[in-house]
Amino acid sequence: MSFLLFLFIELPKWLKPDQIFGGQVLERTPAGLSIVYLIGVAVLIFFLIVTFIDNFRRPKFVFERELPKQVKKKLTSTLTNRSLWIWQVLFVILAFTVFGFQFYWTRYALDDTGQLAKLSYKDLRNRRTNAATLRGWMLDRTGKLDAALAYYKIDTDGSLDREFPLEKEMAHLLGTERGTPGLERTLYRKEADSMPEAWEILTKYKKPEPEEKDVKITIDRQLQAYSAKLLEGKKGAIVVLNPQTGDVLAIYSNPSYKLSEAESLDGYLKLEANKAEEPLLNRATRQFYVPGSTFKTFTMISAFRAGKEGTVLPGKAAPECYTPFRGSRPICDAGGSCHACGDVVMKEAFKVSSNQYFAQMANFLGRERMAETARILGITPAETGPEALTQGFFPEVWNASNARIANSISPARSTIVTGSDLTEYDFGVEGMGQGMAGQMTPLQMAMIAAAPANMKGMLMKPKIEADVPPQIFSQVLTPQQAFTIRDIMSTVTEEPGGTAGIVRTKLAGTGIETGGKTGTADKDGVQVYNADGTKKTRKARKKVDGEWVEVDEPVKFTRWDGWFLLIAPLENPQVSIAVVVENIGGSAYGGTTAAPIAAALILKLRELGLLGDKYKAAAKPDKPATPAKTPKKPR
Amino acid sequence: MKNRTSSHFFILALIVLLTAIAHYSISYGALIRGYETSFFGAMRNLSLIAALAILPVFIKKFLRYQGNWTIYTACVLLFSIGLTVQYRLFSDHEYAADIPRAEREKVQNSTMSEKEKSRAMLRLKLQAIAREREAKIQTLQMRYIKENYSPEKKQIMGLPPTPPAPVDLDAEKFRPPNDSIMSLFTSGRTLIPLFGIFCMIAVFITMRRDDVQRFLQDNGFLVVMLTLGPLFLAAITSRAGKSIGNMTPWELSKIPFLIGFAAILAVLYKNLAKTYWGIPRAKDVLPLVFMAVLPFLPFFVLKDFGQMMVFGSVYVTLYVIAVRRFSQRFVLVGSVVLVMSILIVGALPLATQQKIPLLPAVAAPVKAVLPNRIQQRFHLWLDGFNPPEPDVKWWKEDYDDYYEDLVKAEPKLPEMLAEDPNLQKAINIDAWFDVLAFQPAQATFGIASGGVTGRGLGLGYPELIPVSDSDYIFAALAEELGLFGGLLVTFALIVFVSAGVQTARDSRDMFSKLCSIGLSAFIGFQALVNIGGITRALPMTGITLPFVSHGGFSLITSFIMLGMLMAFSHRNAIDRMKDMANVIPEPTPANS
Repeated sequence: MSFLLFLFIELPKWLKPDQIFGGQVLERTPAGLSIVYLIGVAVLIFFLIVTFIDNFRRPKFVFERELPKQVKKKLTSTLTNRSLWIWQVLFVILAFTVFGFQFYWTRYALDDTGQLAKLSYKDLRNRRTNAATLRGWMLDRTGKLDAALAYYKIDTDGSLDREFPLEKEMAHLLGTERGTPGLERTLYRKEADSMPEAWEILTKYKKPEPEEKDVKITIDRQLQAYSAKLLEGKKGAIVVLNPQTGDVLAIYSNPSYKLSEAESLDGYLKLEANKAEEPLLNRATRQFYVPGSTFKTFTMISAFRAGKEGTVLPGKAAPECYTPFRGSRPICDAGGSCHACGDVVMKEAFKVSSNQYFAQMANFLGRERMAETARILGITPAETGPEALTQGFFPEVWNASNARIANSISPARSTIVTGSDLTEYDFGVEGMGQGMAGQMTPLQMAMIAAAPANMKGMLMKPKIEADVPPQIFSQVLTPQQAFTIRDIMSTVTEEPGGTAGIVRTKLAGTGIETGGKTGTADKDGVQVYNADGTKKTRKARKKVDGEWVEVDEPVKFTRWDGWFLLIAPLENPQVSIAVVVENIGGSAYGGTTAAPIAAALILKLRELGLLGDKYKAAAKPDKPATPAKTPKKPR
Repeated sequence: MKNRTSSHFFILALIVLLTAIAHYSISYGALIRGYETSFFGAMRNLSLIAALAILPVFIKKFLRYQGNWTIYTACVLLFSIGLTVQYRLFSDHEYAADIPRAEREKVQNSTMSEKEKSRAMLRLKLQAIAREREAKIQTLQMRYIKENYSPEKKQIMGLPPTPPAPVDLDAEKFRPPNDSIMSLFTSGRTLIPLFGIFCMIAVFITMRRDDVQRFLQDNGFLVVMLTLGPLFLAAITSRAGKSIGNMTPWELSKIPFLIGFAAILAVLYKNLAKTYWGIPRAKDVLPLVFMAVLPFLPFFVLKDFGQMMVFGSVYVTLYVIAVRRFSQRFVLVGSVVLVMSILIVGALPLATQQKIPLLPAVAAPVKAVLPNRIQQRFHLWLDGFNPPEPDVKWWKEDYDDYYEDLVKAEPKLPEMLAEDPNLQKAINIDAWFDVLAFQPAQATFGIASGGVTGRGLGLGYPELIPVSDSDYIFAALAEELGLFGGLLVTFALIVFVSAGVQTARDSRDMFSKLCSIGLSAFIGFQALVNIGGITRALPMTGITLPFVSHGGFSLITSFIMLGMLMAFSHRNAIDRMKDMANVIPEPTPANS
């Protein structure tokens, strides 16, 4: 009795379709039922055909039976019936032809011409499955979930939203949903939706293993936020690299924009139209700057690579200065005379940032050697000026797990001109960081500083994904040379009379020794914009075809940019920082504008424990690190 | 298995069972997608099929039906497949998304022009669809989160911190279906099939009478004339091939036209054989030509080219079967083939024409004469994945509309176009696949994604194809049931047509022969034209797949045709029984 009762309760459970087809994959039930349906209908049609064939043959009419064959053949009914037969066969052929087209589209069309495969982006099914797959979370280098850089959140109205706590601070890195993709659109692994058939679901398809889709990146959330704060109200960029591994700890370009602003087409166009501010431009990787004196680091590295680090060169007072050839303009130090006069050695020249010394050094080393150093540091040597401006992007510099990621954050290719058309004057100017050297991105400058900062003198490829093993870009220097260069760089910040003494003052009491290089660069012919974002012009008279016409001429000015490269701590550098601040005015220097920012960054790095355990600051009360509230995105 | 009512009753009972299974599968698939299907709707469909399954018992018992049951069963099978696919589509919230009433009224009461109104409506409709789509996508995403995210992550997101667990459909809350019992009874999807079945029985009862058949045979001309009046009225009042509420009431006129043509052919076919120098007499030919051309006029006005195609092929069928001289057959078939090939050559895409010397010159005048609609359809058919140039006359208007919308969103577009010549190409492709080629392209992608066994009922995305319940139902079917499903529909059609042909073969007189073959040819060709249009074997026309598509008058017409065919089959059987009663049967009885 109890057995019967048991059956009565259990049997319906066992007969439930999800039991039969395997309930662990939900799709199996409908897939299985569909196949049952298909087989059922097939059987049914078979029955139907059987019942039909049975009475297929037409019984003869009574009068037909006695007729001779010849006559029978000519009967109307015989003739029409033969036509009917033919028609029926024709219809069957037609029906199967039409079915053949379905067969073609299902089985062959994708491989046949490739046209269908090429157009698959127009298939709404693909878009649908893409839209339904969730991206992973983006975690900062700490890997803590509550410090996520991009994550999902349930909105007040119950909808699922992608949130970016640093939506402004990381806008350039994350990228918008339109235009060229950024990390947000490339970083996460996408499992291709295989679109299985019912049969495959039933027999092969297994529930995908829960896979780790979250990606840890090398950016430190607090440092990135702090960098943005430091550049508030200024135009410029900050790049913080770890020279030992290539980790990018922070990379920020100001002015930036909020990702929510770029969500609507209107907002995006407004951002794009803002030519005065250019908020969409990632200055850290895609803007060419004149590096100014910071480029002397490059010339110095060249000298070391050539074994000419001991060269003593003369520093002369104005008006002679360094005159590369007869009739040439002289190259003097800032201020018009010489900072280091007489016989100058490299260390002294670097400390006071002697233009004369490094201009002479560039010409002394020659174009071949300079070009070779450029290549090894990731800079493309070009023959002529115009060529130097059209070298495109350099995604290969990134140590990324795939090309899509590298492309999404690829920097512009920094270039110098090493062609033989250049006069010695021009090349000298280039060697001190002006003139033709003016195609440097802040990322590239941070890399130049990173090479000597590496304990083995290697240049590591920068990387943004935390879980990618470090990769070497090139062996730039010997460890010994790197050590010596670090020593020379430390004179700028640590010794009295160095151009960036302010760093030492700021870091007083922390015990952190640093090295660096200041730079103050002038960029000619920068467009001036009106308050409404249009190009500022003035009326000018110009001779066109022999006649004087009044034209609107753009107003341009010479912009002064402040630069600072910094490596710290000196005995085992954990960071190499490049800071550039645009338009500091003619009377300020990199040492007074960019250097304090770098120093502040070092203090923050120390607080975060990123300079190594030795320099850990006294523990500060931990702020509750919940993801910051971001404003509601417009839908 | 013989032609017994009982064995067909068994098959029909199986159909009910299978339909129930399919409906369960659809409702389960819907739960996976996050919404519930209408229970009443499923019950309605099952009751309809069940009613059709029980009907033979009554027809046999009370109406003494003696004819072939295969015709009936094949139609019920097609009908059940159609109801299943329709159920799948209509229970999908995204597919059935509708504009909220308040917004609809706001647009209707506004002062916009008709064109603006219809565009505003379209926009609202797309918004409604997008809302439902979002809801579906979010259901899937939330389920993924529930299954995979750690409690800590869930807490950060603002969800209760539960450990990852597989989805339990029983415990989930779904968006309910939007229907009620009351709406079910008043819905066209209940009433139209019921009315169709009723018409079928009524027609069967009427048509099996000898006097009715004789009357129709003798007065075919009158029947046609009486039909023409209302038809022309419909043609004048309708717009773009669809009358009020997407109904096509002229579907019904197929039947009288067929009867008229069959009647006149049945009288004249013998005279046609009498030729003078190979040409039949004018007094035999002219009435026939008149009758043949008549139906094409209203359908031309209505721009219903699909019907014209079906009519053309049916009339050719009748003619070829009735006329015995090869030369006469050849003249007709040859001229039809000639006209068709001229049409096709004229509508061939320019790139293809240029490959053959002299062809563009020949095709140019044809192209100039062809209506835009035909050219458009032909391009979609032969070269559907390549958009035409934006200045082609039948595409320009749509393109300009699309472009206008783009410019509204981005005022700088004209300048950008001037700078970048490739941009226009890209816009043209987008416009093509978003406007004219949208439906056919999505249908083709759907068919391609179906594979051999389909993606499973309720698991595909046929809701992405607009109006896939009527014209494009085969695409929906092919996506979810695959090649196999398509093959089954093809087989069901072949069985039906073969049974129809057999009825024609058994018929004793020319009129019922021609009527029977005409009816089966109508349904068969209409199905082929429809399926061929979707699979790009033929140009796409707006006609339905008989019995399978959701439709008003087309479904009723199909049922009436079925009733007529049954009546003819019944008469054949009665005739044969009379034969048997009079004469001792042959030693090999072919039929019991």
